[in-house]
Amino acid sequence: MDEKETRLVELVLGGQTNAFEPLVTPYRRLLLTLAYRLCRNVEEAKEISQETMLRAFRYLGSFDRKRSFKNWLLQIEMNVWRSLGARTADEGTLRELAAQNTTEDPGERLMGNEVREKLLACLDGLSPREREVFLLRDIEGRSIKETAGVLRTSEISVRVHLSRARAKIRELVKERFPGLMEGRR
Amino acid sequence: MNCSRVRRWIPLYAGADLSARKARRLEKHLDGCTDCGRETEELRAALDGLRAGAGRETLDWPEAEWKGLMARVKSEKPRPRPVSPLSAIPRKAWAYGFAILLVLGVATLILRSLLSPPTASLLSEIVTATPAQPSRSLKTVEALPVSDPRDVPFRVRRSRLEPLDRALLAAGPVSEKTTQNLMSMTLVSQETGLKVHWTFNRNFEWKEKKP
Repeated sequence: MDEKETRLVELVLGGQTNAFEPLVTPYRRLLLTLAYRLCRNVEEAKEISQETMLRAFRYLGSFDRKRSFKNWLLQIEMNVWRSLGARTADEGTLRELAAQNTTEDPGERLMGNEVREKLLACLDGLSPREREVFLLRDIEGRSIKETAGVLRTSEISVRVHLSRARAKIRELVKERFPGLMEGRR
Repeated sequence: MNCSRVRRWIPLYAGADLSARKARRLEKHLDGCTDCGRETEELRAALDGLRAGAGRETLDWPEAEWKGLMARVKSEKPRPRPVSPLSAIPRKAWAYGFAILLVLGVATLILRSLLSPPTASLLSEIVTATPAQPSRSLKTVEALPVSDPRDVPFRVRRSRLEPLDRALLAAGPVSEKTTQNLMSMTLVSQETGLKVHWTFNRNFEWKEKKP
């Protein structure tokens, strides 16, 4: 956590709630995009991201300033995603929602059709835990240790799920988007 | 190393997450195995392609919605910092403390089992079963009936009974014509040496004596 963030956290805890916006603004895209990649539905992604912000504000007092603020936000979002995922939709429902939103999904406009298709199609073939690990490690660039911290699991578990996820990703890309591998051959 | 074993490592190796020792062994294998080498390259290409694409294009909040969200957040109240003396102790300290207690507990159990004598705690011994004269104080007709079986032998009130004469118990054998009216029993604890002496008449009324 850098000095600027530390100062902003202190200001918010001191009662200056206006300092919360500059504190979380650098992560607003990250949180919304990650939520969208997890649930594949823009409205639900907004709901997850909004709940993440609310919880971050409520529990800012318990934030350990030795930790990374970004990882703390990611951890909250993963918890929200899991609780909402358990409440609202199973895998089948998520796929159904994603299919319904294919034509008029604002995410399509915002993210770009090509990447959306490729990445989300690959994510669709992963289990929820594999998806979480893959997104945090390979897309967001968190280390194995950070990923384990965010997901509150062991590094061994992260390695196991990551290994499975990558093996599946290779098969999916090879089968559906062979052009993505062309450049390296 | 065979391909089936190496292939399990390729996904982690392609993302630079394999340990250095395993990575060296894998690289040695890849030098001579084109199939595994191709698989590694394919996976790297897939990961690089997805990372590059994902990094370029992200989802963002419409500005009005973001402002609305921030306004809603600010209307909340942050919960106060939890103040607990226990929370100041780091988790590692808890873990070490628990481990020390566990080790001490196990050591105590082991030492106790090594040092304590491996015998039964009580030795029941019938000291005498000899016939004796009827008690002067416990005539058959006057003896109190045994009341509730639960009271025998620990709750019988014997305040109205005269104490049995120890000399009577020590009396030698009597003639064969007499019937046995008294029986005594002594329990001795081997651990403490405590002796408890019980004497019963034929109505099963009893007297306890402790040294």
